[in-house]
Amino acid sequence: MASKLYHWLNERLGFDDLYKGLLDRPEPRGTWWNTLGSATLFLFTMQVMTGIFLLMYYTPSPDHAYDSIQYIMNEVAFGWLIRGIHHWSATLMVLLVFLHMLRVFATASYKYPRELTWVIGVFLLLTTLGMGLTGYLLPWNQRSYFATTVATEIAGLVPGIGAFITRTLRGGTDLSALTLSRFFAAHVWMLPALLTVLIGIHLYLIIRHGESEYPTEED
Amino acid sequence: MDEKFKQRVQSRYQQALQRGERFWPDSIYKDLLVSLGLFLLLIGLATFVGVEPEPRVDPNDTAYVPRPEWYFLFLFEFLKFIPGQLEWVGAIVVPGIGVTVLLLLPFIDRNFYRHYSKRVLALTVMGVIVVDIVMLTIMAFAPAPAPEQSAIKSMQMWAGLIIPAMTLILLYAFSGILKEPASQRKTMITTASIAAIAIIVLAGGSAFTLQRNAPPKEKVAVAGTIPEQIAQGEELYAVNCTECHGADGDVTVIQGVEGLDGKVVTPISSKDVMYTFTDDTLFNIISDGLPELGMVPFGTASGGELSPGEIGAIVTYMRYTWDDRVEVPEAAQGGGIPALAEGEVPSYDVHIAPLTKRYCVSCHRAGKENNNYLMTSYEEMLNTGDNAPNVVAGDANSILLQVIQGHEVEGKTGTINIMPPNGKLLKDEYVDMLIRWVMAGMPQTAEDAAAAATPAP
Repeated sequence: MASKLYHWLNERLGFDDLYKGLLDRPEPRGTWWNTLGSATLFLFTMQVMTGIFLLMYYTPSPDHAYDSIQYIMNEVAFGWLIRGIHHWSATLMVLLVFLHMLRVFATASYKYPRELTWVIGVFLLLTTLGMGLTGYLLPWNQRSYFATTVATEIAGLVPGIGAFITRTLRGGTDLSALTLSRFFAAHVWMLPALLTVLIGIHLYLIIRHGESEYPTEED
Repeated sequence: MDEKFKQRVQSRYQQALQRGERFWPDSIYKDLLVSLGLFLLLIGLATFVGVEPEPRVDPNDTAYVPRPEWYFLFLFEFLKFIPGQLEWVGAIVVPGIGVTVLLLLPFIDRNFYRHYSKRVLALTVMGVIVVDIVMLTIMAFAPAPAPEQSAIKSMQMWAGLIIPAMTLILLYAFSGILKEPASQRKTMITTASIAAIAIIVLAGGSAFTLQRNAPPKEKVAVAGTIPEQIAQGEELYAVNCTECHGADGDVTVIQGVEGLDGKVVTPISSKDVMYTFTDDTLFNIISDGLPELGMVPFGTASGGELSPGEIGAIVTYMRYTWDDRVEVPEAAQGGGIPALAEGEVPSYDVHIAPLTKRYCVSCHRAGKENNNYLMTSYEEMLNTGDNAPNVVAGDANSILLQVIQGHEVEGKTGTINIMPPNGKLLKDEYVDMLIRWVMAGMPQTAEDAAAAATPAP
């Protein structure tokens, strides 16, 4: 019965092909350094999951943002754990993305035929930093307020269009409710959507070209 | 890149696959193990380290030292070395170049070889940059040295930036030199070394002198202390609030304001308000307005013109002026409108300007309905207005003096109302001050007033 059901589903969904195409692939001999990419992907998944939980209680308005986080930390069951994981996972994610990049650079894995995998990877790094920057403001505390003031000021140093960029980021001349809602929208929708698409392309390219082998004397 | 090279890369990769492992389960096993380790680490960090608590936002806290997330600290530290006028180079151009190089790396690095021994230059560049970033991050975490320790700071700059940069240039130069025939190498290496040392000494020396002679950074005027905030708040209150709430915050029915005429308002200087509204509440009301009661929002967050700091100053001014539970710091006293001594002649600079600023300019400035009579400067007060002149030296019937004593005057364009328009005349001493000033011929400076006071010989 079970095998009949499996056969029926497999005929329609193609488990076996998926298994052959995605999992049962030959790979060059790897080391623990090769796990940095998948570890980053794992942290991204953690961020999405804990982020969704935080979203249930967080309110993106200057009046309530701080209090809603106090509520998450003190009242919600395991709220402190979810926020703690989200916070530390963000920190580790930046660190791992950076280490992953260094590993790829050191083994020259960005060379033919994997040039585009590297380019997408750099965009992933920038988007991750963007997630860090936008997420930093959301607790609406002293540190986030003043750090974002400085960060948006620095964006204003771009010759010519600097003032426009600062105004667009802040939604006005000063940090305000608008800034908070813009950063919130970027943090929970725009950047995660971008990250998901970029990760998809990155993974597709990795499967297409296979993981790179460690270079030998002859390479 | 020719086809032959590509085929070679592909065939070598196929060989590596032959000697390799399976993605499932070999690689996945390692990945899962690392992920599990990370998961445990995260739970540990969240439980035993947690998230550092931070106070609520206080935009008025100008003493707060902003600090970015740790992974931006190296950039932050790097910017400290950049002189002010070149900040955009450090903040935009350098990171911009960095990101561009990173993005285009596969197309910039045309070296076909992949083994470490054949990529010494690339690996050194990366190594130096990584060491630089790590050093800058560590420096940012170390306590900032006092200004007199700027020599130490410049030493750090040396260690962190100049030496690595010079090493890079040298390495690049040598990699070119090594391709030359052996006979020429020695002289070239010697010349390059001497040149490099000379450049280091020159650059270091000039950097050091520049730093020693650098002018102290200009301080931005931010109302920080309580007296400063009160003074700033008083000025902002006069311009933004007096029109409806009156100079003393005791108006109960708005008069003479277009669209709000006859509206009932709470006297905001009353004990009711002062004792029941916290600073936060006042701040929010000013910032967001009370649309259902006709009060417009003033904060930039809601489309007004006042920054959070300015609203904070107004709240401070209100609190220290009207709340009788608050003690005014000594430095803040003695401001405002000076009292007149017996027989003293007031001058515009000392007496009249603060008086008009508090009671008149909220309406008598450009863009308000005021018969074009502006009172923001001495010249305007004497010369502007549809019925100019409103003050005539020595004339007790001057229009200004009539309206502030409760007499309506027939002007060229219609009846001129009693002023201030909210039904409450100025305090007697202020009316007296204005009368004395006009009768003495409207002296502008304190010297003029003193001269007017002594009878001409």
